Amino acid sequence: MANDLKVIVSELHSALGRQQFEAVNDLLSRGKRALLLQNVLIPTPSAPAELVAQAREVLELGAIASIRQTDAPTFTRYYQQLQPFYDLERDSTNAGHVDIRNSQRSKITGLYLLLLLSMGDSTSFHTVLEGLVEEASLKGKSVEDDPFIKYPVELERNLMEGSYDKVWRETNSERVPSEDFALFSNVLVGTIRSEIADCSEKAYPSLPISNAKNLLFLESEGAVIEFAQQRGWVLRDGRIFFPVEPEAAARSEKDILVASGTIIENAIGYARELETIV
Amino acid sequence: MPAERRSLRSNSKSDTSSSANGEKGRSTSQSSSSNKDKPAPTRAAANKAKAASTTKGASSNNTANSGMGEQRDQPRANGSDPTENGVNGSEDVEMGEDTAVPPTKGSRLSGEKGTDKEGDVAMEGAEGEDAEPEVDPKTKAIQDIKTNFTLLERAVTHFDPRFTLRVLRSISSMRKHITGDVLAEVIEETYSSSSVTASFLLNALDQAGALGGARSSAKMEIESEKTKSAPKETLPEVDIYMSILVQIFLYDKKEIQLGAKFSTNLIERLRTLNRRTLDSLAARVYFYYSLFYEQIAPLPPSPAATVTKIRQPLLAALRTAVLRKDVDTQATVMTLLLRNYLSTSHISQADLLISHNKFPPSASNNQIARYLYYLGRIRAIQLQYTDAHGHLIGATRKSPSSHSARGFYQASHKLLVVVELLMGDIPDRAIFRQPALERAMHPYFLLVQAVSVGDLDGFLNIVNTHSATFRKDGTYTLILRLRQNVIKTGIRMMSLSYSRISLRDICLRLGLDSEESAEYIVAKAIRDGVIEASLDHEHGFMKSKEVGDIYATREPGEVFHERIRACLSLHDESVKAMRFPMNQHRLELKSAQEARERERELAKEIQEGDMDDEDAGGDFDAI
Repeated sequence: MANDLKVIVSELHSALGRQQFEAVNDLLSRGKRALLLQNVLIPTPSAPAELVAQAREVLELGAIASIRQTDAPTFTRYYQQLQPFYDLERDSTNAGHVDIRNSQRSKITGLYLLLLLSMGDSTSFHTVLEGLVEEASLKGKSVEDDPFIKYPVELERNLMEGSYDKVWRETNSERVPSEDFALFSNVLVGTIRSEIADCSEKAYPSLPISNAKNLLFLESEGAVIEFAQQRGWVLRDGRIFFPVEPEAAARSEKDILVASGTIIENAIGYARELETIV
Repeated sequence: MPAERRSLRSNSKSDTSSSANGEKGRSTSQSSSSNKDKPAPTRAAANKAKAASTTKGASSNNTANSGMGEQRDQPRANGSDPTENGVNGSEDVEMGEDTAVPPTKGSRLSGEKGTDKEGDVAMEGAEGEDAEPEVDPKTKAIQDIKTNFTLLERAVTHFDPRFTLRVLRSISSMRKHITGDVLAEVIEETYSSSSVTASFLLNALDQAGALGGARSSAKMEIESEKTKSAPKETLPEVDIYMSILVQIFLYDKKEIQLGAKFSTNLIERLRTLNRRTLDSLAARVYFYYSLFYEQIAPLPPSPAATVTKIRQPLLAALRTAVLRKDVDTQATVMTLLLRNYLSTSHISQADLLISHNKFPPSASNNQIARYLYYLGRIRAIQLQYTDAHGHLIGATRKSPSSHSARGFYQASHKLLVVVELLMGDIPDRAIFRQPALERAMHPYFLLVQAVSVGDLDGFLNIVNTHSATFRKDGTYTLILRLRQNVIKTGIRMMSLSYSRISLRDICLRLGLDSEESAEYIVAKAIRDGVIEASLDHEHGFMKSKEVGDIYATREPGEVFHERIRACLSLHDESVKAMRFPMNQHRLELKSAQEARERERELAKEIQEGDMDDEDAGGDFDAI
C-alpha cells in the first residue's frame, strides 16, 4: 500500500511536469483513495511520519494542479485540507515527528493569498495574514522573509496604496517567485486596469490617447480605443474625454429632496424618542 | 440626590411592569411602591396602620402569600428571568445601600448583614494600615468565609443572586488572607469527615503542600471530634464557593498544574449540578479553569498551546449554559472562547463562533466589555473599521474604572486609537493625557502625531523603533496598514495648502519611489474622495479645486444626527442597566389584594350605613 502511494506520487510529479491534467486528475483521485484507506487524509498522532509526509505531498500536488487548471474552488478545498498538516508543522514541539523538508507550505499559502487578493476578498486575506504574522513574530522573523508570502503581501500593500505601476512591474517581470504565481498576473492586471480607469474618470478632465496607453498599461493605441469604447468614454481629436457628471444644479436639487426626506424622518424619530423619555 | 432619583425611576418602572398583573393591581401599585421608597409621607403611615389592622381573612391571605414566597420552587420557575436581568447589569455597582430593598423580613435582615459586612471590610482596611495585631487575620479570614456561607444560604433560600454576587465580590479583599491553613480549617469545620467534597478539596490542598505537619495532626483531632457530631448537609453553592477559594489559592501559589487538574475535576462535578443559584459561581469556576490552562506551556500564540485543549470542554459548557438559560456562564464562556481563539490567532473560528452565537444582552457589564473588545479586534482584522470602532467605543466606555482593571482599559484604548487612525480620524488628544493611559499610550501618541501631519518617514521610524511594543499589543499588522492613511493625509495637506503642485514635488515630499506612483496615488485619492482636485497628465501637476462651504452640505446634519443617536442610545442603555428589587410585583399584588379587601369592607359598611364620611374619605385617599 505504501509503495502504491510512492508510485502515485512519482507519477503525479511527472504528469504535472508534462502538463497532462487528465492524467493528473485521475492520479489524484487514486491517491486520495489510497490515503483514505490508510486513514491519513487527516493527520492523526498515530500515523507514521512518512505517510503523513506523503499525504501532504499528494494534497500539495493536487493544489498546484488545480491552480494550473485555474480551478479556484478546488484549490481552496485542497488548501483547507492541507491546514491540519501545516498545523502539525507549525508546532515546533514535534518537529522531529514530521518531515518538513519537502513541505511547500509557504508556496501554497502564498498562492492562496494571491487567490484571495485577485478575488478581492481582503477580509479573508487579512485574516490569514494575521495568523502568519503572529507565527513569524513568534520565531523572531517577519513575514516578508519568505519570498512566497512577501509577494502577495507587497502586492496588496501597493494595491491599497494606489501604486499601480509597482503592481504592474511586479506582475510583469521575473520578480514573480514561481511560475504558478504568474497565473494570477492576468487577473491582477485586469483588476488594476479597471481601478485605474475608475480613478482616471474622476481625476482627469481629458487625456491624450498616447498617454492613456502608458497609464493603462496597454500595448497599442488601438487597444486604448477599444478599452475606451468599452467604458463609454468619448474620443475626440486624439484625446479621451471622460464623461462629466450630470449638471451640478440638477444634482443639488435632487440632493435637497433626498435630504429633506431624511431630515423629516430624523426629526420624527427624535420626537418619538423624546415622548418615550418624558 | 441620586438615590432618590433612582428610586423614583424604579417606581415608574414597577408601575409599568405591574400592568401585566391586571388592571386592579395597577391602580394600587403606584401608591404602595411610593410608600416604600419615599421616607414617611403621612399617608404611608396611615396605610401601614391600616394594613396592620386588616381583617382576619386578609391577614391569613397574607401569610399564605408570604409562605409562597419562602418556597424555593415557585420563584425559581417564575422569577428567574427578571432576576438575572436585574442583577447582571450591576455586578460592579455597590448593591446594598442605594437600591430600594423590598421591606420583607428576609431582606431587611440582609440589609443589616450587608452593613455588618461593610464594617468588617472597613476594619480590615484599618488593620492593614495600622498593623494592629488585635484580631488575628487568620481567624478573621475564617470568620469572613463563614459569613459568606450564610449569605450563600440566604441566596438559595430567597433565590436572590445578589447575595451570591456580594460573596464573589468579597473574594478580592479576602484574597491576601487566604492560606492553606485557613481553607483547611474552614473545610474541616464545615464538612463531616466522611464527606466526599471535603476530601476532594483537602486533597488538592494537600498536594500543594499547604498543610503543615501540625495541621494534619490537628486535622486528625478534629476529625475524631467531628464524627461524634451529626453530619450537616452542605449546599452545593457552598461546595463550589470553597472550590473557587481553593482555585484562587492554588493560582496565587503558582501551582498551575495542580490547579488545572483540580479545575478539570471541579468542572466535571459542576456539570452534574443544575441549579440556577449556582450560575454566577459556575461562571467564576470556568474563568479560573481557563486561566490555569493559559499558563501551562506551550504558551499561546504557539499553535500547539495548551489552551486549545480546553476548547472542547468550554464549547460543551457553552452549549449547556445556553440550554439552561444560564446567562452568567454563557457570557463568561463565550468571552473565554474568544480569548482562546484569538490567542492562537484562529480568527476565522472566532468569527464563526460569534456568528453562530448570540451574546446574552443581560450579561454582566464586565463580560459585555470583554466581548465588545474581542469583537472589535476581530472586526478590525477583517477591515470592518466602522463596526470595530463602534464595538471598541463600547468596550472602553464599559470598562471598569477601578485600578485593577487598568490593563483592559489601556488595551482597548490602544486598539481604539489604531482603528480610529485607520478610519482616517485623528483621535482626541485628551485620551493620551489621562493618567491611566499616559505612559502606556506613548508610542501610540507618537504614531498619531506622525499620521496627522502625513510624515511618512517619521511614521516608518516610529513603527520600527516601537515594533516590539506594537507586536506585544497585537496591533502591529493593523499599524502596518496605516501607511496608506499617512500618504492620504499627506496628499490632503498638500491639496489644502497648494492650489497647484507638480507631481514631482508630491513625490519628493511624500518620499515615494516615482512620479508615476505619485500620479496613481493622487488619482486614487481623488476617486476615494479624500481630496477635491484634478490632474493634468501632460504638464504633470495636481490642481486643487475650490473647497466648498461645508455648512452648505449635509455634513453638519449628519453629525448632529449621529450625536443625537448616541445620546438616545446612552439613555436607553442606562434605563436597561437599572436594577429593580426582586419580587416587587408580588408585594404589589398583596397590597392590591388588601386594598380590594378594604374596599369591600368599606362598601359593606357604607351599605350598612354606620360609617363616618371622614373615615371613608381618608381610606380612599390612602388607596
